[in-house]
Amino acid sequence: MTRRALITGAAGQDGTYLTELLLGKGYRVWGVPGPYPGDFHERAAASEGRLEAVEADLTNMVSLLEAVEASQPDEVYNFAAQSSVGDSWAEAIATTEVNAVGVLRILEALQQLAPKARFFQAASAEMFGNAAEAPQRETTPLRPRSPYAASKTYAFHIVGSFRDSYGMHASNGIMFNHESPLRGLNFVTRKITDAVARIRFGLAQTVALGNLDAQRDWGFAGDYVEAMWLMLQQDCPDDYVVASGEVHTVRDFCEAAFAHVDLDYRDHVVVDERFMRPVDVSVLHGDPSKAKRVLGWAPRVTFGELVVMMVDADVARVSAQSEGVRA
Amino acid sequence: MTKRALITGITGQDGSYLAELLLGKGYEVFGIVRRTSTPSDIRIAHLGDRVKAVVGDLSDTPSLLDAVEESQPDEVYNLAAQSFVGDSWRQPIYTGDVDGLGVTRLLEAIRRVKPDARFYQAATSEMYGKVHEVPQSETTPFHPRSPYGVAKVYGYYITLNYRESFGMHASNGILFNHESPRRGLEFVTRKITYAVARIKHGLQSELRLGNMDSKRDWGYAGDYVEMMWLMLQQDAPGDYVIATGETHTVREFCEIAFSHVGLDYQDHVVVDQRFVRPAEVDLLLGDPSKAKRVLGWEPKVSFAGLVEMMVDADLARLGG
Repeated sequence: MTRRALITGAAGQDGTYLTELLLGKGYRVWGVPGPYPGDFHERAAASEGRLEAVEADLTNMVSLLEAVEASQPDEVYNFAAQSSVGDSWAEAIATTEVNAVGVLRILEALQQLAPKARFFQAASAEMFGNAAEAPQRETTPLRPRSPYAASKTYAFHIVGSFRDSYGMHASNGIMFNHESPLRGLNFVTRKITDAVARIRFGLAQTVALGNLDAQRDWGFAGDYVEAMWLMLQQDCPDDYVVASGEVHTVRDFCEAAFAHVDLDYRDHVVVDERFMRPVDVSVLHGDPSKAKRVLGWAPRVTFGELVVMMVDADVARVSAQSEGVRA
Repeated sequence: MTKRALITGITGQDGSYLAELLLGKGYEVFGIVRRTSTPSDIRIAHLGDRVKAVVGDLSDTPSLLDAVEESQPDEVYNLAAQSFVGDSWRQPIYTGDVDGLGVTRLLEAIRRVKPDARFYQAATSEMYGKVHEVPQSETTPFHPRSPYGVAKVYGYYITLNYRESFGMHASNGILFNHESPRRGLEFVTRKITYAVARIKHGLQSELRLGNMDSKRDWGYAGDYVEMMWLMLQQDAPGDYVIATGETHTVREFCEIAFSHVGLDYQDHVVVDQRFVRPAEVDLLLGDPSKAKRVLGWEPKVSFAGLVEMMVDADLARLGG
């Protein structure tokens, strides 16, 4: 019996990696590409009917009911979000509409039409804020410090409420930062590797960043989507931290990225006040031991390998572009 | 210089007591009132045009911008909400939109139009939900159980956020249950006292309730609104638990309410599964020591005093 999955935010980084994973396992996948579809439709066209687009909007309840009706899902993965922490201060209302109330709409739609479907919510380590303890685990109290983090906290709790109230198989993945060559350019990791590539080819001289001392627990998105899938294969729903368990600074990332193309980051990185956040969380450091123990999950790609992977991909892309060849 | 206050949810229990308090202190009081076809201002009708009503809704940003513009408030009290936990499972999105996102809309309006206004957010003990410790204080982690609780957790954090991010004087009152003769009929306390009065007058014979063993920390709303005002008089914004520090069961409330009119609750109360909640909050007990220390908080009305006050008021409504 072919398993059916519905993925929102299907055109984004996580949506793309998860789609690949599920198609590889023989699923039929319905993806909501959202407002920035990228190459989603091309991939769907090339999938021999196994990947289909379904339009929906997290601010529109009817569209979600229709998406659930069309896909008849066994599993639902919610990645759709306004995912920029930095932008969330200027767009607090829109961020909350999608990231918070939007999750409630999906849960309600599933209650109405597919109450047995298993649900995964992309929760975020940003909920820990200036964390009460380090490293952070599933029981660490939440202290969200941005409108983004507050919206994700709402979603985290509403998943718990629906699990307790209705017996839904609904789980939260408390995702620490996970990167890849598919990461959006506004995220600092990709901003850096893209800049490294452009600087390497003489298309730019510098890159402006914010707080170089910010520390994050970074992993490879391709590894992390596997943890998400594993959560939905368990008999019981639950919440899990997904992280590498290691922290590095933005400075560390710069150092490694520039060094990979034989450059010194200090010659090219400029600190710009405009990229400092009104309130920054300084250290996010996850403890993934529950995921290891219960799901048997562990990350494969190391920090160094991740940086190299991303720089190589951006170098290849920029190199092809600068030779007038479409990458 | 006359101080100006803007109150959302002014037509509710707390809003009406707060309006009275502030008028008594010489404030100019503005209240946001939703447009409804049936008049909703029964609790503030006695204040007449001493309260300046402004039409608006927490789901409607332009109306909030206008309300702040018109009132130019020194203090804003956000009491408006879909405030009944039980109904939040039936109207979860509306509850999230008004009780959660509505706080953000209001904060944004204040930030744009009158950023030096002091802001009070009606947070709630329902945020503690499946409580992580007993009693609950400002540092107890949240574990909300209902769409109402979840929305209020969001509202709490976004208030904290605007304080930290923009330096706003924005405070959370983590108020445990607070009741009065003006409480809505759907809330179990008023549901009981209203039924007691009607049963005493022979207008009904039974009262159907849900979980009789649920425990709450109940106080008198008239005492609690003064704490809201005091929070905004502090030099610095902060978050405070307001509670009596005692917990009682629904059963105890029934016992006192019925015996106050010479009846035995066991003769009249029937447990009805329909009123049992999908996910229950079994126990709430607040630790108000911070409010005691900083604000001088001291509840004046006792538990039994509150029950009897409410029964007497409902009897009076039926002509004694």
